[in-house]
Amino acid sequence: MEALIAELKKKLVETINLPEVNPDSIDINAPLVGGELGIDSIDILELVVMIEQDYGVKIDSKEVGKQVFANLKSLAEYIAAHRTQ
Amino acid sequence: MTFANVFITGIGIISPVGTGVQENLEAIRTAKSGLRPLSLFPVANPFPAGEIHPDPGLGLDPDLPRTHALALRAAREALARENTPPDAIVIGVTTGGMPKTELLLREKNPHPDAYRWHGAGTVATCLARELKCPGPAFTISTACSSGAAALIFGLALIRSGIALRVLAGGADGLCRFTYFGFNSLQLLDPQGARPLDKNRAGMSLGEGAAMLLLVGAGPAPENAIARLAGGGLSCDAYHATAPRPDGAGAFTAMREAIIDAGLAIEDIDYINLHGTGTIDNDAAETTAIKKLFGKTIPELSSLKGMTGHSLGAAGAIDAAVCALGLEQGIVPANAGFREADPRIGISPRPQPHFRPLHRLLSNSFGFGGNNAALVITAPGETTSASRNFALPALRVRGSSCLTGAGGINPTLDKFISGNSAAGMLRDEEIVKDLPVRAIRRLKRLPRLALSLAAAAQLDAALKENPAAVFFGTAWGPLSETYDFLMKLFETKESSSSPTDFIGSVHNAPAGQVALWFQATGANLTAACGDYSFEQALLMASLFSPAGKFSIVLGAEETHPLFSPRLDASVAGDAVASDGGGALIVTPAEAESGTRMKSLFFSSGHNAGAAMASLVSALGGLEIIRGKYGVLFAGIPGADDARAREQMNIFLSLTGFPGPVIDYRRYTGQYAAAAAIASVLAVRLIANGKIPRSLTGAEDLVLEKKGILILGLGPQITAMEARG
Repeated sequence: MEALIAELKKKLVETINLPEVNPDSIDINAPLVGGELGIDSIDILELVVMIEQDYGVKIDSKEVGKQVFANLKSLAEYIAAHRTQ
Repeated sequence: MTFANVFITGIGIISPVGTGVQENLEAIRTAKSGLRPLSLFPVANPFPAGEIHPDPGLGLDPDLPRTHALALRAAREALARENTPPDAIVIGVTTGGMPKTELLLREKNPHPDAYRWHGAGTVATCLARELKCPGPAFTISTACSSGAAALIFGLALIRSGIALRVLAGGADGLCRFTYFGFNSLQLLDPQGARPLDKNRAGMSLGEGAAMLLLVGAGPAPENAIARLAGGGLSCDAYHATAPRPDGAGAFTAMREAIIDAGLAIEDIDYINLHGTGTIDNDAAETTAIKKLFGKTIPELSSLKGMTGHSLGAAGAIDAAVCALGLEQGIVPANAGFREADPRIGISPRPQPHFRPLHRLLSNSFGFGGNNAALVITAPGETTSASRNFALPALRVRGSSCLTGAGGINPTLDKFISGNSAAGMLRDEEIVKDLPVRAIRRLKRLPRLALSLAAAAQLDAALKENPAAVFFGTAWGPLSETYDFLMKLFETKESSSSPTDFIGSVHNAPAGQVALWFQATGANLTAACGDYSFEQALLMASLFSPAGKFSIVLGAEETHPLFSPRLDASVAGDAVASDGGGALIVTPAEAESGTRMKSLFFSSGHNAGAAMASLVSALGGLEIIRGKYGVLFAGIPGADDARAREQMNIFLSLTGFPGPVIDYRRYTGQYAAAAAIASVLAVRLIANGKIPRSLTGAEDLVLEKKGILILGLGPQITAMEARG
């Protein structure tokens, strides 16, 4: 899980282009959307694409998405439970 | 001659529920659904979509993309009873030649000729050619409000006396680009669009075209179907795609349209909704309606449960159906609606309703927060109110440009010393004064636009921000467009980037500029080929709010792989160049300060006739020689011979004695060169002289004379900069 979280932090910064953010500084319990990172719904959709491509995990319902993308910890847990690659 | 009343005297329509007015009317009477699982191209789990079968291109030039074929069919029907072509054509499109281009890029076709119908502006020029229209061919690309915005532009052209008969509408063909794009945004309802329904889950994509012949007249002509009474434009300045939840932008557009029509809120007896079926649109739109209409909300419905959402065509199809509904007394059904959404509390009828209509409102909203609303009335409901629609000059309060040389100062230095500013500025240079967060999702074109906007505002040194944005781009955001398609094809059409899709629309940069300035006024994007900046300036003259500031900008990015296939002028130039220019303007109340004015637009195909009408529009040779000290000529490299012939005709007709400056020699070849030429003209007017390095002889003191800026080639345009 530790390794997955570290990987996700890096991918998050790359996928949604936050060059001024140090991946290690991201708080895994802080809300992803509307928090300090300035992430919005478009970024979430971009992350959906990345997660499907890189982990084979599909998130195509808004209800599921809301819970999964609550914070980085919930995202990592969901991926760990559903990943196919 | 100007007219306060503009009538719809011809309609052509092709939609997923029928080809032609009669089939569409029958479908509306019976609430026939046009939604079926997508079959135009293979998709794993096809969602319902509104497709047109058989292929609208049958019997037409097989090279024409779907959008062009749809537009042509609608245009021919609209003009079926006319003996003469219209004075001007205005069309709203978003996909342009994309139905064809995406296949060419997938097969890695390198031949520029195959891409000749790619440009959004080529739909209008194709119509002009086929219909033998000698006037200008304008294009508006404001995403899903394009069709309605094109009608509002057409209305303004007639009111201001620029044209008497305008063919205006919208067209868009369904393609992979839009289907996978909206799918990546998770905005497609797997069960088909259900506007306003409690369980709605998104839109259905559609396609089609509607073209309306607009005619200015005193009393209603006998063949008038309806009257286009008013239009309202606004921008949310809130988010790249999501509407403002409080509906403030939609509210303003609707209110402005009603005021523009000279009506009161309670006069409206039906609202044709934008009503896409997405959770956010329907919530925001109905919130705005409740705020505007209070307790007595008129009957309302959305067509999109029947037809799907045809993007740039939607506003025009809605307007056509509204005009026919007025004539025939039909309120269209809100197909797909079953159960009221308690969060909305409005129940539209899922069946058509037959009753007289008098004055209705039709809404269209789009990406970039673009909102447009139309008021259409029965033809007899004319107004005698006299208003001044004369085209004002625009007083320039600030300017900026970006070229291969850098910003305005290095560019001006190059120009004044007679050297070229061609080339492509490095990305770090473009964004050096922009905050990282504001640009993190933006590629080259929106970065150029934001940088231009920020620099122009700094130069203007105003306390208030511009309220309205008028943008011109021939090709739109090419990096986003290209990257979106490459990712789609690399993943075998299984995955695409939502960010690139959102950023790919022509008006995305103008949406970013509106966000930057919090500019909630009109927000229009022209895609008129090499004349896109010229059209943006004309739109600014027609729609700049009095007493406020607006920004007019033109910008183009040159994409190393894509641009050479699209723009022969770029392909033929020794140095790849791009950039743009911006002006902060306000409608000029008096003849003072530096002013820009849009003067003329026509087709350039008959060079002799076009130049003669240009000379006459400018006031004749004496006035031209007295008014202008120097002439800036826009000569697209791809059209060099024709443009020079046109220039020679102009010179021989006027005997113009001053220097002629071929400005693309100094900017490089790309469609936004006219924007930079305009900024340089404004700066030279302020300096008061043209240096010898440019005149080729002595320094030229301008005294009170201005600079005439001509656009040459397939279209002819004229603008002036004066002190």
